[in-house]
Amino acid sequence: MADTLTIRTAGITTVQDLGRVGRARYGLPANGAADQHSPRVANVLCGNDERAPLLEITALDFACIPSGDILVAVTGAPADVTVEGVIRPQWEPVSVRAGETIRVTGIRQGLRVYLAVLGSFEAEYLQGSCAPDTILGFGPTLRDGDQLALRTGCPPIDHPYSRIPLFRLHAPAPRFPTATAWTIDVTDGPDRAEFGDTAARLFGGPFTVSPQSNHIGLRLRGDVPRRVSQGEVLSRGVPIGAVEIPAGDELLVLHRGRGVTAGYPVLAVVTATALSTLGQVRPGHTIRFRHRTVDQAVNAYRAERNAIDLLRTRVRTTFEALDIPVPDAG
Amino acid sequence: MTGNVTITDCGDSALIAKAVGMEAEEAWRLVHALADALDAVQLTGVHGVVATYDALLVEFDCAGTDHDTVRRVLWHEAARIRPGSTRQAPSRRFVVPVVYGGEYGPDLPEVAAQLGLDESEVIALHSGADLTVRCLGAPAGAPMMDGPAFPRPVPRLASPRTRVDPGSVAVAGRQAVICPMPSPGGWPLLGRTPVRVLDLHSDPLTAYQPGDTFRFVPITPEQWDDYPDTPLAACHG
Repeated sequence: MADTLTIRTAGITTVQDLGRVGRARYGLPANGAADQHSPRVANVLCGNDERAPLLEITALDFACIPSGDILVAVTGAPADVTVEGVIRPQWEPVSVRAGETIRVTGIRQGLRVYLAVLGSFEAEYLQGSCAPDTILGFGPTLRDGDQLALRTGCPPIDHPYSRIPLFRLHAPAPRFPTATAWTIDVTDGPDRAEFGDTAARLFGGPFTVSPQSNHIGLRLRGDVPRRVSQGEVLSRGVPIGAVEIPAGDELLVLHRGRGVTAGYPVLAVVTATALSTLGQVRPGHTIRFRHRTVDQAVNAYRAERNAIDLLRTRVRTTFEALDIPVPDAG
Repeated sequence: MTGNVTITDCGDSALIAKAVGMEAEEAWRLVHALADALDAVQLTGVHGVVATYDALLVEFDCAGTDHDTVRRVLWHEAARIRPGSTRQAPSRRFVVPVVYGGEYGPDLPEVAAQLGLDESEVIALHSGADLTVRCLGAPAGAPMMDGPAFPRPVPRLASPRTRVDPGSVAVAGRQAVICPMPSPGGWPLLGRTPVRVLDLHSDPLTAYQPGDTFRFVPITPEQWDDYPDTPLAACHG
């Protein structure tokens, strides 16, 4: 029988991946991990395909126990990660023996932690992805006692001197603000002109993230720009990251679960790197928008992805040196 | 460069192409033909194509391609598309039973008042002609149609609902839609259909595609139970 990962304290945890791509034409949103950078790194640290299923742990404490020896990597928001009560590093692979308890507690500064396992685990797929879609009702939140079937194991990796980190892979970990103030990069949206002079308000005061925020969109309160033009807007495709002003005193930033069409003008678009940052922002936090050109945004994203590619090479070299089995691609 | 589309940056990972200087029908044909062409060339890095009424959103991984490359392909393909040359899939017809008004369509009185019509006139217009599906949109692959021949556009709700029941039949602006799954929504609700719009176990999830037509047929609340677990299906003949 295959080994399993038993969930002891589920908190708010889902089996997640990078999302359901290529189905927008059928009206299906991408969904997938709200922070795309951290799960990519977690999977790469385990030698996995970066699209492999992993756990997205939101805000609350989490614990699990593998029935076999495994290698895990925990990324995302700062938290206390322990194995059998001993603090283990985030953003590095960690060897875990059968029956040992992995705990993720005290998630802080950010909102979401990602836990990948070498070889990943079995997951249910819909339209090419295991990412939950809350509108379709697909992808359950895990419960205490649930078991996930592990696809492969990893023999224990011993180090003669415990407490000395086994790996020093220097994974690209983003900085999390110690205050609750975030900077979110945006480029101009296609309909910026519809907001006239008020468009500049986006870069004025801070905006506060409302409790009605989720993976579909974040609602922000503050001095919102006003649409100056009138008239019908036919529904059309809107990108993830679109900054809209539906009505009233709130900005809406569409995130990965956004419906693919909408009828509001798009004032700005959050950059690909800042979307991962936004996936970590908590309700009650404040954000300031920073204007970027499309070239600046593209370069920042390429640098981020390039750092992951370099990490993948270091992981491969290290795994070969330590004789760690590299999971099958895909 | 061609005169039939404008192409605008839409952030660091998307472009939006809009058909310009043509009738609505032709604009719709153009953007969907453009979407087909993009699907056919399978451009590296492009992972999302959303053709709607007169616009096409193209989403891509900007680490795998760039705006100029996608823009060039869009110009190239747009220049090849001639009026009348676009693919025309055979249109299918779906008949959709609807209970109008009451708890099924709580906004019917308000919509009638805004349009200066009786409720029965709104129902007659909504169910009186075949409505063409223009795209699959939000939420969850909803069929987005041309609206009925109302005298003027219908305003969206000032305060969107946090939950709209599945099968709800709604209108806004000059558009009509059926909401396949429970979801938030800001469109006024005229009624509700007992048939199941979407099937999670089929691929694609919905039976209809752009170009198909829907005909709404009024039924009474008593007839609701005549459609137990009935999927939406195209008519034959």
